[in-house]
Amino acid sequence: MDDMEDTTIFSTLKSFKSLISGPDHSLLETEPAYGRSDLQKLYTKRVELEEAAERVRSHTSLLQLTQEKQQMELSHKRARIELEKEAHSSSRDLQREIDRNRELLLKIRRLEEREEKANQALNEQMENNKALKRNLEELHKKANVKDSKLTEADQMISELKDETRRLNQKIQIQESKFSTQNLEIQALQEQLDVQRKKYQDVSQRYQNLQSSHSISTESELKMKELERRLALQEQDSVIVKNMKSEMVRLPELEREIKRLREENCFLRETKENNSLLKEETEGLRKKLERVERVMEEKLKAELEKEKLEQELQAWENIGQAAGLNIRKPEDLSREVIQIQQRELNLKQQNYTLNSRWTESLLNFTSWKTGVLELKLVLLYVGQERDGMRAILESYDSELATSEYSPQLMFRVKEAEDMLQKVQAHNTEMETQLSKAQEEAGSFKLQVQMMTAELEALKEQHVSNAEKNTLATAEEVSSLRQKIEELEAERQRLEEQNNILEMRLERHNLQGDYDPVKTKVIHLQMNPTSIAKQQHAEEVEQLRLECQLLRDRIRKIEAGGGVTKDDTTLIIPPSQEILDLRKQMESAELKNQRLKEVFQKKIQEFRTACYVLTGYQIDITVENQYRLTSVYAEHMEDSLLFKSTGPVGSGSMQLLETDFSRTLTGLVDLHLFHQKSIPVFLSAVTIELFSRQTVT
Amino acid sequence: MSKTLKGITLKGSAELVAEFFSFGINSILYQRGIYPAETFTRVTQYDMSLQLTTDAKLKNYLTNVISQLKEWLFDCTVQKLVVVITCLETNEVLERWQFDLECDKTAKEGSAPREKSIKAIQEEIRSVIRQITATVTFLPLLETACAFDLLIYTDKDLEVPEQWEESGPQLIDQSEEVRLRSFTTTIHKVNSMVAYKRTNST
Repeated sequence: MDDMEDTTIFSTLKSFKSLISGPDHSLLETEPAYGRSDLQKLYTKRVELEEAAERVRSHTSLLQLTQEKQQMELSHKRARIELEKEAHSSSRDLQREIDRNRELLLKIRRLEEREEKANQALNEQMENNKALKRNLEELHKKANVKDSKLTEADQMISELKDETRRLNQKIQIQESKFSTQNLEIQALQEQLDVQRKKYQDVSQRYQNLQSSHSISTESELKMKELERRLALQEQDSVIVKNMKSEMVRLPELEREIKRLREENCFLRETKENNSLLKEETEGLRKKLERVERVMEEKLKAELEKEKLEQELQAWENIGQAAGLNIRKPEDLSREVIQIQQRELNLKQQNYTLNSRWTESLLNFTSWKTGVLELKLVLLYVGQERDGMRAILESYDSELATSEYSPQLMFRVKEAEDMLQKVQAHNTEMETQLSKAQEEAGSFKLQVQMMTAELEALKEQHVSNAEKNTLATAEEVSSLRQKIEELEAERQRLEEQNNILEMRLERHNLQGDYDPVKTKVIHLQMNPTSIAKQQHAEEVEQLRLECQLLRDRIRKIEAGGGVTKDDTTLIIPPSQEILDLRKQMESAELKNQRLKEVFQKKIQEFRTACYVLTGYQIDITVENQYRLTSVYAEHMEDSLLFKSTGPVGSGSMQLLETDFSRTLTGLVDLHLFHQKSIPVFLSAVTIELFSRQTVT
Repeated sequence: MSKTLKGITLKGSAELVAEFFSFGINSILYQRGIYPAETFTRVTQYDMSLQLTTDAKLKNYLTNVISQLKEWLFDCTVQKLVVVITCLETNEVLERWQFDLECDKTAKEGSAPREKSIKAIQEEIRSVIRQITATVTFLPLLETACAFDLLIYTDKDLEVPEQWEESGPQLIDQSEEVRLRSFTTTIHKVNSMVAYKRTNST
């Protein structure tokens, strides 16, 4: 297969080679002079072959396109002819209709005089008019359809023309490109040769340069090394000089070192000694301090000892001075206790003595008073005695003369009695005194006893009081516990109270109220209720709108699905919709304008046909044409033709109608024998005209 | 009249308090955006510029309520005035501005006027209104459309006029309360506080 293709390609190549001029041959011949390899040749051949193939392909495509173009032109011509025929026929129909209209108008004018017939005719005419209008509309529709087809055909034609133009242009461009490319290839090849020569020269030079460059770098390296070595050697020489100078100094340094070492050892020893000595001194200092302290303490102790000895001696002297048998402090304490006891006893005695003394004083005072009384009595007695004596003396004086002796004796007896009485009184007084003294002593004893009892009672009372305090302490503790409990409860209640007050405050802040005392009122027509109503109404309205829109959308979706054949309904974006709508509107406008234009044209044409040919041609059914003559006697008189054969061929056949039956002679003559429809039609016209003019 | 005289009478006090409520409620409506800001106009009162509504319906409503409130203040039968802000969509109460009123019942019509200067009262009112404006900073945003209502807490035995009806207290569920300043005319004492619905983030 490949061989076959190669052979065909080679054949085509040869043919094209013959077309291409000599320079190619020369090029091909001169090629081996450069010493090309077989591969290069094959490559060039292949390139040329590919180019040839491309040319072939382009040619074939060109031929195909020309063929298609011819076919298209043919089809276009056919379509045009058909449309022109249709246009003609439709124009003829139009003319006929117009002529008819005129005739009818004339008839109307004629029949106006006859009222009944005229009205009937008028009605008939009206009905006919309506029928005609309907026909007109149908024709318009058909004309529109044809018009659209025409426009489509025109568009197709224009598109095809454009395509052919484009293809021609492409072919031209490709041819030009091909030629330019060939020229470029030649130029590039020449340049390539030149460049290769240059490259060889340049490469040689570059190699020379590189070798020289490498040599130079090597020499540079050597130079650097030598320089470095030189520098090192200089450094070494400098170092050697220093070393020599240092070497000279070496023995001195050694001597110094020895000396310093000895010093070091010495210093270390001294340092150790120093430290030891320091420690010793510190220890001695501390000892000294301690000793000094001890000495002070010793002095103090000695002083104290002397004092104490003195005191002891004094104590001992006391003992000796006191005359007591004191050797030890216990004796002293015993003595002291004894002395204290004696003291107590003495105090007691003193107390008793004091009490006795006071009693005795009291007695004394009482005795004194008694004595005073006695003295008074005595005085009285004395005074009595004196008086008595005076009396006696007086009596004696008197009795000197008379008998004194019995009176005197009587008075003496009375005085003696008195004396005895006084003596008795004294003894009684003394006895009373002694009794009083005894009573006083007994009272004293009683007092003493009472005081002792009192003391005893006091002691008892104290003990009782202690017992009482114990009892009261228990009561007090219980009372205190109660108090504490009550305090705790009080605090708890206070806290609760605080919490409740806070809660109440909080509730008050939140707006709580006591329903018993307060009530809450507001206006019936308040903004909140109004706003709520409005809100609810708005919501309702929005819901209704939503529902309406949803229904609309459903309808649109349903309607869209019916007209389109697509199963998936993709709603195009609004932009496209607007563009499409605009396009639609513009297309509709165009359509309308075309319709109007077509209507006008077709009307003109039809009227012209009607006037010129004398027949009004209507298309009743597809491929059927009804011809009505100008001079027809009745409205229904018409000839029916049917087109047979392929579209555009123009072969027609007459169909049987009532009117055609009346024209059988003409039919036979012109159609069957002469086979000419125009002659027949003109014969019919003449016939009808003749009929008309006669009547 | 009673304002120009030295001292405050019961009638004068009622007028002062009613005036305060009128401006206070307007401020609240403006600050919280219940009505759009362009429906408000600036006026000067209490030596500061305040916003007053120009909406005719709203004005009418407010004058009705305030005039009735003035009567009740004169009778000392009103205990609280509450501005309730409700969300229209969810019918939830979002904010409650509560003004407690304490009336000194001993100050009857014939008694002598109390000694307190109008300036001092106006100073106090100014600070209260300033505080109302400042509370906007911490109150949660009212994002949905809202409407307001005025509730009045009165004594139980008060005769309810024709156009008024009883309603619930319209409390907020889960509220935060903040107590604001108060002012007094020596006859009426007004305590202000605001309660707002706790937002979920806090």
